[in-house]
Amino acid sequence: MTSSGARIHIDGVGKQFGALRVFENIELEIGEREIVSVVGPSGCGKTTLLRCIDGLVETTEGEIRIDGTKVVGPPRGVAVVFQHFGLFPWKTVYENVAYGLRLAKASKAQIAESVQRHIELVGLTGFEKAYPYQLSGGMQQRTGLARALATDPHVLLMDEPFAAIDAQTREILQFELLRIWESRPMSMVFVTHSIEEAVLMGDRVVVLRGRPSSIHEVIETGLPRPRTRDVFSTPRFNEVREQVWSLLMHEAEQAERELQEVR
Amino acid sequence: MTTSSERLRGSLVSVAGLIVGAGIWELVGRHTQQSSFAPFSKTISALWGMTKSGQLPRALESSLELFGAGLGIAIVLGFFIGLLLARMRTLRIGLEPYILMLYATPMFALIPFILSLFGFEFRAKVIVVALFGIWPILINTLEGARSVNLDLLEVARSYRSTEPKLWRHVIIPYTLPYTMTGVRQGIARSLIGVIASEYLLAATGLGNLILTYTNQFDAAHVLAAVLVITLVATLLMMLGRAIENYFARWKAGV
Amino acid sequence: MSAVPQTVALPRTFALGPRAQRTLIRIATGVILLFLWEVLVRWLAPPFVARPVTIARALPHVLAGHVPLATPPFWGSVEATVIAVFEGLAIGTVAGVLVGLTMGRLRLADRLLRFYLNAFFAMPILAMVPLMTLWLGFSGSVRLAIVSLGAFLPICLNVYDGTRSLPANYVEVAQSYHARWWNVWFGIALPASLPYVLAGFRLAVGRVLVGATVAEYIVSLKGLGYLIVYDGRTFHQPVMMVAVLVLALLGVAINVAADVATRRLLPWYRRSE
Repeated sequence: MTSSGARIHIDGVGKQFGALRVFENIELEIGEREIVSVVGPSGCGKTTLLRCIDGLVETTEGEIRIDGTKVVGPPRGVAVVFQHFGLFPWKTVYENVAYGLRLAKASKAQIAESVQRHIELVGLTGFEKAYPYQLSGGMQQRTGLARALATDPHVLLMDEPFAAIDAQTREILQFELLRIWESRPMSMVFVTHSIEEAVLMGDRVVVLRGRPSSIHEVIETGLPRPRTRDVFSTPRFNEVREQVWSLLMHEAEQAERELQEVR
Repeated sequence: MTTSSERLRGSLVSVAGLIVGAGIWELVGRHTQQSSFAPFSKTISALWGMTKSGQLPRALESSLELFGAGLGIAIVLGFFIGLLLARMRTLRIGLEPYILMLYATPMFALIPFILSLFGFEFRAKVIVVALFGIWPILINTLEGARSVNLDLLEVARSYRSTEPKLWRHVIIPYTLPYTMTGVRQGIARSLIGVIASEYLLAATGLGNLILTYTNQFDAAHVLAAVLVITLVATLLMMLGRAIENYFARWKAGV
Repeated sequence: MSAVPQTVALPRTFALGPRAQRTLIRIATGVILLFLWEVLVRWLAPPFVARPVTIARALPHVLAGHVPLATPPFWGSVEATVIAVFEGLAIGTVAGVLVGLTMGRLRLADRLLRFYLNAFFAMPILAMVPLMTLWLGFSGSVRLAIVSLGAFLPICLNVYDGTRSLPANYVEVAQSYHARWWNVWFGIALPASLPYVLAGFRLAVGRVLVGATVAEYIVSLKGLGYLIVYDGRTFHQPVMMVAVLVLALLGVAINVAADVATRRLLPWYRRSE
């Protein structure tokens, strides 16, 4: 645990929408150079939790602090990569990547340098003038990633970033993301519904469970970095994966049983 | 899946159709009184005569000046009011039914009212033309600005966008294609407004040409004026469509 | 107030539901607008210019059929215009559907007619009115011709569009059941292009109303267009505005009726805005 170097502090956080209690008692710390995966069944609020961390959604209870400051709205130095890519269709790849920098009033020189560097980083050189509709899902998400990274964030929040992408491209992007992270480690919260992805990406895997959901367990993956494709065949990987799987399956089976009783 | 030879054949058929049409025009014209109709050839010579004498270019300039001024106002006001209403919910709810009602009303009926307030001359006619053209622009802009994808608004928030930047980077670029669709419709309506105001208010421009020559029972010149108006109108519609397509080019599959 | 939508909780003091709230806001806005109109015209405009108070005063008289001396009759004018509008819509729709279908299904007709139809569609039909008086004299036929043309063009072009975009699958299915050409045209192409007809209809209504009123003015035909211009010129503005209101309501009513018809007849078609 890296509590001494923790960047994000999530303290007794709960969220309620009207009468619906989504999650409660979330206590978590995320270090400066760490990837924490959050995995759980649909509707467990993992996406909502991510939005709470970024201050896009207000918590009903508890408090989130990033670098000691309480989160009340999207803080500086935090960038989000969205499942739906969130690219502006009327902006070219270049303009989309430059968006965050423009908003932060960076100088023209800074923008030109950073944007070009990050477009290269995600492997989209040559596509600067393309519009989103001309790009595949994978390329759009690379653009979204470049946009987030261009602002040089020290926290990266990934909201099921590869869920809308085909399986082969997804695997390529996962390892690209890992490679990029290795070159500039930061706090990353990686939300996903894929157990394998959660174990692959994370130093720790947070399993959300229950209705309302809460942190059922936090598992240290203990897998070496840098991660390569070999990791899939290591015994440790499978062990962790099975562990998470059984935790979640139990919940899924329970839900199924409840459904049967209703019928 | 038309091959290029099919397309060539098709174009030839269209051209043939045009020639046949002109031919019919010529024939019918020859067998009717010159007070009610004129053959194609006479219409063209009347057209040429008006051009040489400068009458046609002057009338054209006058009508286009009116058109440009009125449409310009309609675009600027329609765009800004549309954006304003998209932002201010209560105002929009309140005004919506009245705007829709005005959209469905023939603005021609309001011309005498405008006349009594603003007179006969250019100022009144510009107001009329603007009134004809503004409604589709306003309504389309409003619809567009209101329908911005919530996901994209969230993205902007996550990048800590200020309100002005939200408008500049997200809302306005998103809305522009909608506005341009409205502008295309506005072009057609404003053109009607030009002719209507030239009929009802101080007679100038192309409308005046038509009225004057009709009163002289000179079908050839009336037809020539109608032909010119049709050409101008067709060009303006093509321009409108081109503008609309240009602004929508980032939409998938355009 | 930010353009970013935020969920606003309605204050509990408002016992009205959201629907009633909207109506209230609309009525309030209407009252404010009428008030502004009244005040501004009273202050700044000549006394004969219509304002809500004078219109309200004239309204009962006009509706009872009492118009100022030597001005056109009210209900007679309404009747004349309404009849012309419906005649024009009827003729234009039928002709528009037939020609549109033909152009959509027969390449030859398409190629021959498309240019003319686009040109006539782009042209403001007002320009044709004086010409028509040369052909048809100063009679009601001019109005009929103009409104028919005004309705015909948008409907024809829309039906053409709709027929052209008929998915080939539909025709394939029909042909596999040995359909004859009229089955395809009227049994498939027509229903499939009904949404386009409706869209064209809205355009047609606007053009018909303008066409009717302008024709009435130029030909001096009994009708709302003539009444409006005449009363305007003789300073009987309140009566004139009642007529304008009737025209507005006519336009709105026909559009609403078309919307209702769309929902009834075409429940399977979702209007894409």
